[in-house]
Amino acid sequence: MAKKIIYSFLAAFLFMNAAMAQVLTVTGKVTDENGIPVSSATVIEKGKASSGVTTNENGSFTISVPKGATLVITAVGYDTKQVVANSANIAVPMATSIKGLSEVVVTGFGGTQIKKDLTGNIARVKGKDIEYLPTPTVDQALQGKAAGVFVNSQSGKLGQAVTVRVRGNSSISANSQPLYVLDGVPITSNSQSGYGGAMNPLVDINPNDIESIEVLKDASAGAIFGARAANGVVLITTKRGKAGRTQVTLNVQTGYAEATRRIDVLNSDQYAELILESAKYRDDLSGTPLTDPSSWTSYVKNDVMGYYSYDQWSKDPSKTYDWQDAVFQRAPYQQADLQIRGGTDRTKFFASFQHLDQTGTVIGNSLKRSTGRLSLDQKANDWLDIGISLNLARTWQRRLPDDNAFSNPLQAIALMPMTPFTDPNTGLAAGAPPGDVNIPLYYNPVLTVNYGNFTQTVFRTFGNAYGRAKILPGLLLNTEFGIDYLSQNEEGYFQSQTVRNQSRASRGVGSNGAAFITNINSNNYLSYNKSFGKHRLDATLGMQYQNSLAKYNFTEGLDFPSNAYQKIASAATKSGGSSSESEFSFVSYFARANYSLMDKYLLSASIRRDGSSRFGNSKPFGNFPAVSAGWVLSNENFMSKFNFFSFLKLRASWGLVGNAEIGNFPARTLIAGDAGYTGTPGLRPSQLGNANLGWETTEQVDVGLDFGLFKNRITGEIDYYKKNTRDLLLAVNIPATSGFGSVTRNLGQLTNEGFEFVLNTQNTVGAFKWSTNLNAARNINTVTNINGQIIEGGVSSMNRVVEGTAIGVFYTVEYAGVDQANGNALFYKNTKAADGKFDKTTTSVYAEAQRVVVGNPNPDWIWGFTNNFSFKGFDLSVFFNGVVGSQANIYGMGRYSSASMLYEDNNTADQLRRWRKPGDVTDVPQVRLYRVNGSQASSRYIVDADYIRLRTASLGYTFNSNWLRKAKIDKLRVYVQAFNLLTFTDYPYWDPEVNADSFDSNIAKGNDFYTPPQPRTILFGINLNF
Amino acid sequence: MRSTINIFKKIALLTVVSATLWSCEDKLQIEPLQSLSPEIALADEGGVQGALVGAYDGMQSATLYGGEIMVLNDLIANTSEIQFTGTFAGLSDAYNLQMVANNGFATGTWSAAYNTVNRANTVLANLAKVTSSAANKSRVEGEALFIRSAMFFELVRLYAKYPNDGNPATNPGIPIILLPTTDATGDLTVARNTVKEVYDKVIADLTKAESLLPSSQSNGKFANKWAAAAMLSRVHLMYGNYVEARDAANRVITGSGRTLAATFPGLWFTQINSGGTSPGEYLFFMDVTNQDGVNQVNTYFGRTISAIPGTAGRSDCKIRTSHIAKYETGDARNYFILSGGFNYTRKHLDRFGDVPVIRLAEMFLTRAEANFRLNTTVGATPLDDVNRIRNRSGLPSLLAADINLNAILKERSLELAFEGHNMPEKRRLKQDFGTTVPWNDPKTILPIPQREMDVNKKLVQNAGY
Repeated sequence: MAKKIIYSFLAAFLFMNAAMAQVLTVTGKVTDENGIPVSSATVIEKGKASSGVTTNENGSFTISVPKGATLVITAVGYDTKQVVANSANIAVPMATSIKGLSEVVVTGFGGTQIKKDLTGNIARVKGKDIEYLPTPTVDQALQGKAAGVFVNSQSGKLGQAVTVRVRGNSSISANSQPLYVLDGVPITSNSQSGYGGAMNPLVDINPNDIESIEVLKDASAGAIFGARAANGVVLITTKRGKAGRTQVTLNVQTGYAEATRRIDVLNSDQYAELILESAKYRDDLSGTPLTDPSSWTSYVKNDVMGYYSYDQWSKDPSKTYDWQDAVFQRAPYQQADLQIRGGTDRTKFFASFQHLDQTGTVIGNSLKRSTGRLSLDQKANDWLDIGISLNLARTWQRRLPDDNAFSNPLQAIALMPMTPFTDPNTGLAAGAPPGDVNIPLYYNPVLTVNYGNFTQTVFRTFGNAYGRAKILPGLLLNTEFGIDYLSQNEEGYFQSQTVRNQSRASRGVGSNGAAFITNINSNNYLSYNKSFGKHRLDATLGMQYQNSLAKYNFTEGLDFPSNAYQKIASAATKSGGSSSESEFSFVSYFARANYSLMDKYLLSASIRRDGSSRFGNSKPFGNFPAVSAGWVLSNENFMSKFNFFSFLKLRASWGLVGNAEIGNFPARTLIAGDAGYTGTPGLRPSQLGNANLGWETTEQVDVGLDFGLFKNRITGEIDYYKKNTRDLLLAVNIPATSGFGSVTRNLGQLTNEGFEFVLNTQNTVGAFKWSTNLNAARNINTVTNINGQIIEGGVSSMNRVVEGTAIGVFYTVEYAGVDQANGNALFYKNTKAADGKFDKTTTSVYAEAQRVVVGNPNPDWIWGFTNNFSFKGFDLSVFFNGVVGSQANIYGMGRYSSASMLYEDNNTADQLRRWRKPGDVTDVPQVRLYRVNGSQASSRYIVDADYIRLRTASLGYTFNSNWLRKAKIDKLRVYVQAFNLLTFTDYPYWDPEVNADSFDSNIAKGNDFYTPPQPRTILFGINLNF
Repeated sequence: MRSTINIFKKIALLTVVSATLWSCEDKLQIEPLQSLSPEIALADEGGVQGALVGAYDGMQSATLYGGEIMVLNDLIANTSEIQFTGTFAGLSDAYNLQMVANNGFATGTWSAAYNTVNRANTVLANLAKVTSSAANKSRVEGEALFIRSAMFFELVRLYAKYPNDGNPATNPGIPIILLPTTDATGDLTVARNTVKEVYDKVIADLTKAESLLPSSQSNGKFANKWAAAAMLSRVHLMYGNYVEARDAANRVITGSGRTLAATFPGLWFTQINSGGTSPGEYLFFMDVTNQDGVNQVNTYFGRTISAIPGTAGRSDCKIRTSHIAKYETGDARNYFILSGGFNYTRKHLDRFGDVPVIRLAEMFLTRAEANFRLNTTVGATPLDDVNRIRNRSGLPSLLAADINLNAILKERSLELAFEGHNMPEKRRLKQDFGTTVPWNDPKTILPIPQREMDVNKKLVQNAGY
């Protein structure tokens, strides 16, 4: 503090001195912390705004000022710097802005606002913050980075769909994923795959091409995207050229990944103990001597443990095979990125290339991606700017089947620990012919990896062109045209060895399918920007047209000459073929105005009129207005006594946004032509229509406070929001006796209400820098009205929509533990009495117990916590994230593998604490072979899924030496990065961040079904700038 | 001058862009190309004929005659003959009589059956468009009535008490739906008709179908007069109408021109051994090809046998030796394969095997039983009919002194084993399941699906759910 006072005096002294000094021509160079030149920085003499200059591509400037004058240097993204002009040559190192408040935020349709002027809620994630992460898709990289944006990676399979919820789930039947807009184009983001779980088309975007991601969270920010903004809008802006010296950045990283967690299952001795005990129970029940050949005991000895171990068990009963060893692998990872960026005042360019080669931690899963991007911006003349960008990507993936398939490698944990990986008779994987194909107990998923293949190749083109004409001072006419072409080929071949799983593969089954999606978008708008006196105004008026046409085809063949022939040309039987097509369009008009008075009073309003081909003839258009206001208290005089507040702004917004994501023709009654029989074509009524179908509307209110303390060393945001969604697009169940299961109606309401907190602090400055970023969000989701509909989903239909609680709560019978006297599983009856109380007496008769709400897959709190440290050349970044208050459903595995040895499946080690004799106090019922005892769907299988994850930790060192400079190298950084290094959780199976792809829907979240855990990845990297 | 040009350029640009602004609204009219509106799809006779084929497609669903109706009828409570080791909880619960109201198989069969009923009703509601000939119109109507009746019959057997269990005139059956659903605005809830009402309707409609249908059509993939008569015979037998059951069976035997397959094994492996051709003995079956159709009996009863390419299955239903012990030495119907320590029936090993719904052999056995009960010899003596079946499987003829009801029923149970007859026979004949489960145990009746109870307050749930 004392130092600062001295500096202030010194500055004041010099300033007074300057008044009487002569003119000095100052030449200077502006650089960032790393010595890289900062171009386009503005340099003015303090108090004389009209006389400024800007730095050139070398960061250099020349200005003539009175000696001793103060120069004010500003540049976007950097802290404003003041230096005193007291010599002819000065160096100006600038610090990257830590305050966030001066950041420019993208608002859509060419709009940008400085964060401190914002009246809506937009979370910004800089490209730099997600650089070089080993997550192939950008949505995964958002996890924990933006308050109120919930990301669940669902599984450890590469390139698969990710659940993203912005401020909660605001729909039951319609898609709840946000709208993704890449450089102005709403892109195809839903899965196009015909195999396994849903895929993630965002995988075709190279995250390192991203300059920034803006998540439009409230209605004020989102309403400009109208009918498609209710789930939030994610604006992705890619990097473009900068005037200045051409800069080349090369980054190479390599490492490996392993599954984050494994589980404890029984070894052979424990398995034998339990299954013999469960067989004995059955024999005792029927009075069969254990040695009788027809006894259950004989059955498990001979036909189970003997047969399925190739008769090895009797010779070496303790020999154990942990099938997790057979299906998990140490997976190499390689990635190289090259970026070249530069330009002049008139022409700027950015080019990038990436190659990524990632192997899954589960056998049979890999991903290779090559991308190239080029963008050009040209100042054609003094009134016209034009530009293009083109992105080409090829993504190749070897896919895993969906979780609920015997060929899902993780299902191997169900196999007995005495079954060897290799058939001792053939030396091949267990179950491979010519060995006995009916060993192991279930299909050995390793066979599908060894003898089958399913690959997906996507060629993706994102292209944009724009023109921007200055019509009048401050008035710009913008026209943008964008394309998103997705062409996908999927090719599968399953050899005859996989016939136990692919029952039609006795002489091979091959398939080949394609998807072609042509998505075009055009934005045309006028934008006006003007400051006059105390007033600042910017306004936008325009229209958007989007059309997306999807075409699919598929062929399948059976009966190949041999496994060496894998193309359908060689299939004797062409067993399947199809082509199909679907299309939608949007035509929209929008207007927006932002007004600021004296930088204190901010007002914003927008409206969008959206039309879509998806809706009924009676409701093709909808209107989506929004208004918001802000009050910058810190610019008020009365705040001057609270000068520890360097910034303080109150803001509030209201608006309507919509959701239209329910397929392309939901309003129509349809007859499908796919109902052929024995080679004769046939028709079937496929959909019951609703001509009155319209938008799902979300009304949202947001109140927020942005603050900066102690010269913005501490900044933050606090928000409260409430979203009321009405006219839900609901697939309403109707009696099946009608011939239909459901009809889509605008019915029902739900709310999402919550708080968000963001806190950024610069804990230490100087040589040792330490900054912290914390975000946390609480969302309360409540379904207020579904008109008595029963809406269920998930494993054994245990997820349900219940009025008064959150979407998709776990609704099942409540487990009451084990009867000490007889080892029976007990359940609470939970019959609701007239007074509303539940009968808490227990019963062993499952049918007597009523279902109740026993858990919620939606977390109460989500948070992310980042600490960045730097000292000299070292940098360290540690990022944790977590969820609090969520449950998951493990019944998918539990009914077989944590089931008191009901079947021959291997069980989890916790089943060892089963009830054995009267008086035993335990939560695991007596083991009874093929006699259900506690393995019914119940709260026994609804478990806490809270976790804290050390999501990323990276340690780097940046060399700074003369020989580097002599070699014209601006920067050389080496680093080690760990992803998912540590996970803290009580979750009993693999990964608490889970969502089985086979069951996924809006309401069916938090299900685990042998779902692969996420990878723990360790990478070593080198980053070179020249 | 230069600035004037610029202004012109800007005005031109502005004009072009604003033209695009207002010219797009017609782009909102996009017609579906995949599925069409009913006005287009059902415009003419071709559309109605297509809808009829669609009804067969519905009937072939996995949960119906695709095989699960047969699997459920064989599996429920049949612990004495089958060791079920499958992991589908819905089937396991059915087998162990531990079903709950949201049993997936109970829900699936109910929904698919009524979906098929709706398809058949769509045909019946559009009959007027069949104008090419009166014969075509009769055939289309007869086939649609056959399909709808078969669905009602299977539903009432699975979801309600049998006619001999209490009073069928008051026991709840299943809802009878006779009109297609074309919009969702009206009240779609319906109550259960009584068991008797359902049987009466099924008998009336099948009788009509038999009269409408041609005798020559098709080869058993589509219903003809004899498929309708055979189904009618089965329905009458289930109701205890022995005269009508006998006469309908006799009409099939004498009128259809069909004969028993020469050998019992010749009835099976229709894809692997016969290239997809079914034996003439199949009066009505679901045609399965490697392009269309499923065989769920194969899924649950089948097993991959490496030595027989084209076999597949989940190995879920292991046949107990207590069943196999029932066959006499030399009986070709002792048709099992030992694999991995267990016996599996050979009937359903073929991955793409056709699914028989009614075989001619059943008609002989029905005629024999009814003639015996009625002390008549319509068509043939019971002894001759039974021996015809026995001789085909290589067994010696019974003597006149050996013939009695039990002998006839034993032939029936062995001949039709694992073809979906176990529970219907037990219930019809009031034979208990093993030693512990009475023939009319409420848990052998499927629950009305929970999702259906939830949306249709007029339904009454079955006992025990």
